[in-house]
Amino acid sequence: MIFAEAERKRFEGPRHRVTHIGLGILIAFVVLAVQLWRLQLIHGFEYRINAERNRLHPQRLTAPRGVILGRNGEILADNRAACDLVLVPAECQDAAAVCDEIEELLDVDAADLRGRIDAAKRRPFEQILVKRDVAKSDLIRVEERAYALHGVYTVVSPQRRYVHGTTAGQILGYLGEIGPDELEQRNDRYSMGDYIGRDGIEQTYEENLRGVDGNTVVTRYAWGQPQLRTDVRGKPYIAKHDTHGHELEEAYRVDPVQGGTVQLTLDIDLQAKLETILVGEVGAIVVIDADTGAVLGMASTPSYDPSVFVTRGSNRERAELLRAGRPNPMVHRAFRETYPPGSVFKVLLACAALEEGLLDEHMTFYCPGFYQIDGAGRKWHCWKRYGHGTIGIVNALAFSCDVFFYNVGRKLGPDLINEYAAKLGLGACTGIDLPREEAGLIPSREWKKEYFKAVYPDQPWEWEWRTGDTLNTSIGQGSVAATPLQTAVLMAAVVNGGYRVRPYLNAALGPQREGPFLSERTVETVRQGLFKCVDKDPPAPTGTGNQAKIPGMTILGKTGSAQVVSLVHHEDYETEEEIPYHQRDHAWFVAGVLDREPRVAISILVEHGHHGSSAAAPFAKEIIEFLYRDQPNPVTLAQRDDHP
Amino acid sequence: MTRTPRDLDILQQHIRVLNPRNTLRVDWAVLLLVLTLAVIGFLCLFSASRSAAASYYQRQIVYFLAGCLVAWLIVCIDHRFLVSLAPVMYGVAVGLLIAVLVSGRVAKGGQRWLSLGPFNLQPSEQTKIILVYMLTWYFTQVKERIHKLPYFMVAIAIAAIPALLILIQPNLGTAACLGPLVFVMLYVAGCRKWHLALMLLLALSVVPLVWIQMTDFDPGLGEDAIKATDANRAFYELRHYQKKRIYTFLHPEYDPRDAGWQTYQSKVTIGSGGLRGKGFCRGTQTYLRYLPEHHNDFIFSLLAEEGGFVAGVALLVLFLLLFWRGLAFAKDCPELSGALLATGAVTILGFHVCINIAITVGLLPVTGIPLPFLSYGGSFYLTTMMCVGVMLNVPIRSTMFD
Repeated sequence: MIFAEAERKRFEGPRHRVTHIGLGILIAFVVLAVQLWRLQLIHGFEYRINAERNRLHPQRLTAPRGVILGRNGEILADNRAACDLVLVPAECQDAAAVCDEIEELLDVDAADLRGRIDAAKRRPFEQILVKRDVAKSDLIRVEERAYALHGVYTVVSPQRRYVHGTTAGQILGYLGEIGPDELEQRNDRYSMGDYIGRDGIEQTYEENLRGVDGNTVVTRYAWGQPQLRTDVRGKPYIAKHDTHGHELEEAYRVDPVQGGTVQLTLDIDLQAKLETILVGEVGAIVVIDADTGAVLGMASTPSYDPSVFVTRGSNRERAELLRAGRPNPMVHRAFRETYPPGSVFKVLLACAALEEGLLDEHMTFYCPGFYQIDGAGRKWHCWKRYGHGTIGIVNALAFSCDVFFYNVGRKLGPDLINEYAAKLGLGACTGIDLPREEAGLIPSREWKKEYFKAVYPDQPWEWEWRTGDTLNTSIGQGSVAATPLQTAVLMAAVVNGGYRVRPYLNAALGPQREGPFLSERTVETVRQGLFKCVDKDPPAPTGTGNQAKIPGMTILGKTGSAQVVSLVHHEDYETEEEIPYHQRDHAWFVAGVLDREPRVAISILVEHGHHGSSAAAPFAKEIIEFLYRDQPNPVTLAQRDDHP
Repeated sequence: MTRTPRDLDILQQHIRVLNPRNTLRVDWAVLLLVLTLAVIGFLCLFSASRSAAASYYQRQIVYFLAGCLVAWLIVCIDHRFLVSLAPVMYGVAVGLLIAVLVSGRVAKGGQRWLSLGPFNLQPSEQTKIILVYMLTWYFTQVKERIHKLPYFMVAIAIAAIPALLILIQPNLGTAACLGPLVFVMLYVAGCRKWHLALMLLLALSVVPLVWIQMTDFDPGLGEDAIKATDANRAFYELRHYQKKRIYTFLHPEYDPRDAGWQTYQSKVTIGSGGLRGKGFCRGTQTYLRYLPEHHNDFIFSLLAEEGGFVAGVALLVLFLLLFWRGLAFAKDCPELSGALLATGAVTILGFHVCINIAITVGLLPVTGIPLPFLSYGGSFYLTTMMCVGVMLNVPIRSTMFD
């Protein structure tokens, strides 16, 4: 009304153009609202999950591993707190100065540390490892200089501890970080970086020893990592403040459950004794309870300390151990290495022949020092060049007459030998609760056919079983192979009256035996022979195992000298000392104790020890003396309630 | 009562420069909207203060009150007087911008601050509002001659001088604001549309220029290499961090923990709010500091997290009402100067709202553009309240004709 018409017209332009601006803003806002719709309503749930993942930090609380105890409750393996020193660069006032300080205090290369700090520049709150498993004295020195070491923390993690070091090391086994393949198989309970039993008891009883991991969920800030700690008992928890000092709130928690305790039948004192006895030799000793099969001691030299596998990262000792050639410390010779049993095998032949009625205590054979198949052809020698003369079963065992057992072997034949070997624990795994046991071998017709078919595919006459094979088998030579543990089980059968026991280490398993496979009469006869083998009462000629004799004790024994190469080679040398080490016989001695509690069966093997009588039998005496140091008087049969 | 409106006639005509009674004539709807937005801002900053040692909202209230004072002054002063002063203000502003370049305080990688005793002045902020006055002054001077290309080009030059000075600082966000401002004001002043189209085309020609730079961009450059390339760059080339922002916007999967972190976390923050949000002071993303600058450029994410879609849209509606009201003033104003001032003020605010929210919802690469009324910071709050003052002042003048 107050405007002139011309003036009004002049402002027409701007007026509708202002509306265009308004429309422009409206369109922009609609676009923004649509994007909000997309983010919050269409993809809202996904973003919600993302935000929760940001907010909540699930932390696995690793359960401490179960403890391994010895026979009398001694701790063999437990866990200790390992303190790692870490550095948070963002919380250092002057990282370079802290590095120098650390170099001065600990054996750490400051330049390397600075390099790693620079590499993590984009993640300033990341904990950078300064040193693993810092010694207590070093920790104290670090603590004293704490005022100059801002941003340096200790992180505690449970670590396996093998209390007795090398002693029983091979039996306990060791732990190793889980591999990617294993992880794929059993990822329900394991995650990257977890330790898993790699050998021995640690491997067999992985399921028992491994605890149930706990879980805790804490709020997590964008910067600052929740820190894991452990209390004095090794129980992990989340520290109240993260690395950046934010107070953390625990939303959820399930406590970890420590793994179960495994109590072994192993007597750690005996084990230590056995290992001391074997020092300087390559060999193995097995001591089992003859009635139950409980392993009291099982030593093998050389051995190793499983502690070298405990620390993460590379380790010179471990690398050397894993690369070791013969004699390999990682191999427990008592059940992972087979040897020809030699004369020890004669115990089995005696049992089989007596039980089958092919032999009795009155039957004799004549030993001229050699044996010829059907009285002609090649001579099979007795170890005693001029022979034992006319000899019965008791003396044949006592003096280890080869010719007697050539005869017995021919009477039995390979099939019966195999049958009794299986009954008394040879040629198959004993079933001990340790991984990777060797089965050994008792040759049979089928085995020979199969084996030689592979070696001589176009010479079928070589596949057949021959009498010579029977003779070789009869004295435990040729292809016969047994572990010291198997010969201990064989000896245990003689001691316990004909039962085959299953050797075991975990006390919770309990005894398990089969039989009896031998009659009382058979057992009695064989015992007589084996007793005479150890006996050295004049005026009787002394047996081959007389060095194991302890007056007033009923000790059974059988020596063995397992040839590594044929006897002919030995004749090239004037004296035994001249024979090169690797051609010397393996020395065997198996023993049993009848009149003490517990009755034990012992098997001793010394690689390249020449003669069982001289190299192995004295060890048996030492072991038995140690075992029954508190039992001067015999236990009579009447006192035993579990006597078969 | 018949008076011919003369836009700039101070010397010949008696006008009251300062009139406190204008206070009573302010538009109550705009006042209510501004107060609501300010309170929402305080609440957001209260929530943001939970995770910080500083209590942002208390200081923000002080900034708001100071801003109110400035806005009240603008309301009371006859805008014709301020428009007549525009060339002087413009000269001072350009002078300050040069001063900042010569002896500015470096903050966040750019020379943007000028230390004045206890105060830190950010002249680029106030340049926006001064440019509105300057362009208004210019358009009222040239009137319909703006149809002619030379006059059009002069308007562009008026905007380009401070824009270039700000760009050198470098402050891409503020410089970018001046472009749409001059565009909108030229349009409303009645220039030829094809002139504008030409200008737009020229502006878009920057895109291939940037594109060529981005083709051989290596985001994983070391610190020394970055310094070297920044020193040797051609005048038209972007700095490394600017290129990196564009790069991470185009490749959000590249290093989400570093450069792409903000955009990614902003989307997570907003998205996790859902329809109704997590509740006041119950936002987790912001509280646990997954979203940097959540009190500042990313405060909209905080609002959308705690208030959800409902709050986000409500804020948009509030802003829309405010802008609609501002543009209505421009439309109803009988004078060209009033229409231009109101449109300019709305453009400044509207540009910030649109770009800021577009950045937080991941539609644009990250640039430092604050959100009016919500983002923490005194300098920008002052600009916001000045815009409000200008908006409120315009209808007072037009009602005086009744």
